[in-house]
Amino acid sequence: MIKQDLKRVILQELRLDDWQIEDETTASEVPGWDSLNHANVILAVEKAFGVRFSNVEVLKLNSIGDLQRLLDSKLH
Amino acid sequence: MYFDSLQYAIFVPLVLAAYQLMPSRWRWAVLLSASIVFYVALRMPLLVIAWTFVVLTSYWLGRRISDENNVIKRRTYFWVGVAAQVVVLGCIKYLRAILRLIMPGFEIPAGGMDWFSTLGISYYTLQAVSYLADVYLGMAQPERHLGRFALYLGFFPKLLQGPIERAGDLLPQLRSLSSFTYANVRSGILLFCWGLFKKVAVANRLAPFVTAVYYDPHGYRGLSLIAATYMYSLQILADFSGYTDMALGVARMFNIQLTENFKSPYFATSIADFWRRWHISFSRWILDYIFKPLQIEWRNARKVGVVGALMVTFLFSGLWHDVALTFMAWGLLHGAFLASSVVLKPWRELAYRKIGLANHPWRPAFQRIVTFNLVAFAWIFFRARSIADGWYIATHLFVGAATRISYATAVRGGVMGAILNGGSARDFAMLGAAMAVWFLGSTFRKTVRLQEQPIWFRWSMYYSLILALVYLNAYDDVGFVYFQF
Repeated sequence: MIKQDLKRVILQELRLDDWQIEDETTASEVPGWDSLNHANVILAVEKAFGVRFSNVEVLKLNSIGDLQRLLDSKLH
Repeated sequence: MYFDSLQYAIFVPLVLAAYQLMPSRWRWAVLLSASIVFYVALRMPLLVIAWTFVVLTSYWLGRRISDENNVIKRRTYFWVGVAAQVVVLGCIKYLRAILRLIMPGFEIPAGGMDWFSTLGISYYTLQAVSYLADVYLGMAQPERHLGRFALYLGFFPKLLQGPIERAGDLLPQLRSLSSFTYANVRSGILLFCWGLFKKVAVANRLAPFVTAVYYDPHGYRGLSLIAATYMYSLQILADFSGYTDMALGVARMFNIQLTENFKSPYFATSIADFWRRWHISFSRWILDYIFKPLQIEWRNARKVGVVGALMVTFLFSGLWHDVALTFMAWGLLHGAFLASSVVLKPWRELAYRKIGLANHPWRPAFQRIVTFNLVAFAWIFFRARSIADGWYIATHLFVGAATRISYATAVRGGVMGAILNGGSARDFAMLGAAMAVWFLGSTFRKTVRLQEQPIWFRWSMYYSLILALVYLNAYDDVGFVYFQF
């Protein structure tokens, strides 16, 4: 389940008004979230929540659900 | 025994028969034995030794990485594995230069063996690195069956020129090798023949025209250089995608689906789109294993980090082909194209709005033309024999066009000169026919599902392809362009 605050940060970084984001949604399914822009989205999430992901943690992400779980593990 | 040889046309049906007769659990052994025979038959002994080394090191280290719980030890195993592949790749690629450095009077041993070929090594070493990285990142399970793992790295249709297969795509298929089906054998043969047509009828017919100009470009200028560069853009696509179709076709006969390497790359609407369509298995490799780690590492630098990661990635892409200034220039040009698209993105949209193309239906066509010309420009350095030749061509593309070349001048040293130097007028007509068949066939494949058509139509198409192969081929035993890498 993707929480509203994570969704808001992603949409804001990608300058989208709205987009359906679910657990299995992958980056390439979200308009503007391509390989060239990937690091910017990750950096925006890190800054918004005051966390830092390791490079290997980021490289292992397959879906936005994975990102939510990684973020939760850092916040708790 | 290359794909366009008679020996290969005999070899594949023999392997297929042995595969079908063997019980399912031993089919990996048939394919592995066939792959070893295929590689040994090339008479390149060092490559077989190198392949064995790559198989054993990556197999053992993949298991060690997976079984180890200690983070530092896992990382160490991973980097030792990567280093081993880089060392073996470097040693084989530069063996001749290394030996000449140590022994200035060194002579190549006689005896019919090719001791210095690098055929295939660039592909299976990259595949081994991707396997180790995927196991290290937990994205793939290690293969615990040595025979199946060796087949994963050495499956003969993809051994020499890829595709570079990911563990998660190919290994599961090798674990359950089912009997061949009529539908897959038929469509595999058809795909193989289509690839063969692209190679022997299109690429081989374009090659003499391109070679005529690129062998000594200083004799040409203006339109001749532009024509030869466009022709090379088509030649390399027909050559490499032809090889890939042949590889995919043979694999399909054994019910194995290899990765599509090409998706109409010259219809790309941007350079980023081009790399999603050109040599896809390689571009996925450099994206996942070079660009992404660097981009993430340098993410605090934002655009500067992305630009840096792009330049390093495409410099590697050039150097992977060969350590030469020409390939470096080609790679850096692509890096610069992509970097400028990142940096200039806001201004690009503004420019499209200013000229009224932002939402215009012609925008994709405009973008395709621009992208194709940028790609073709970069091919100049890829094909040129030296950086000086590449520079001459790049700086003389429009020299001559402004001085209104007369027909007579063109015949002497211009476009027609290039064409006639490379072959006869008949050759040029045959090339036109081959290109027409290529274009029509490609359009047909995208729009019509052949297996759903009536039998009379399907067989008309099969015979048409055979006739095109028989009458338009220019078989001259010229190797594939990408064999050299």
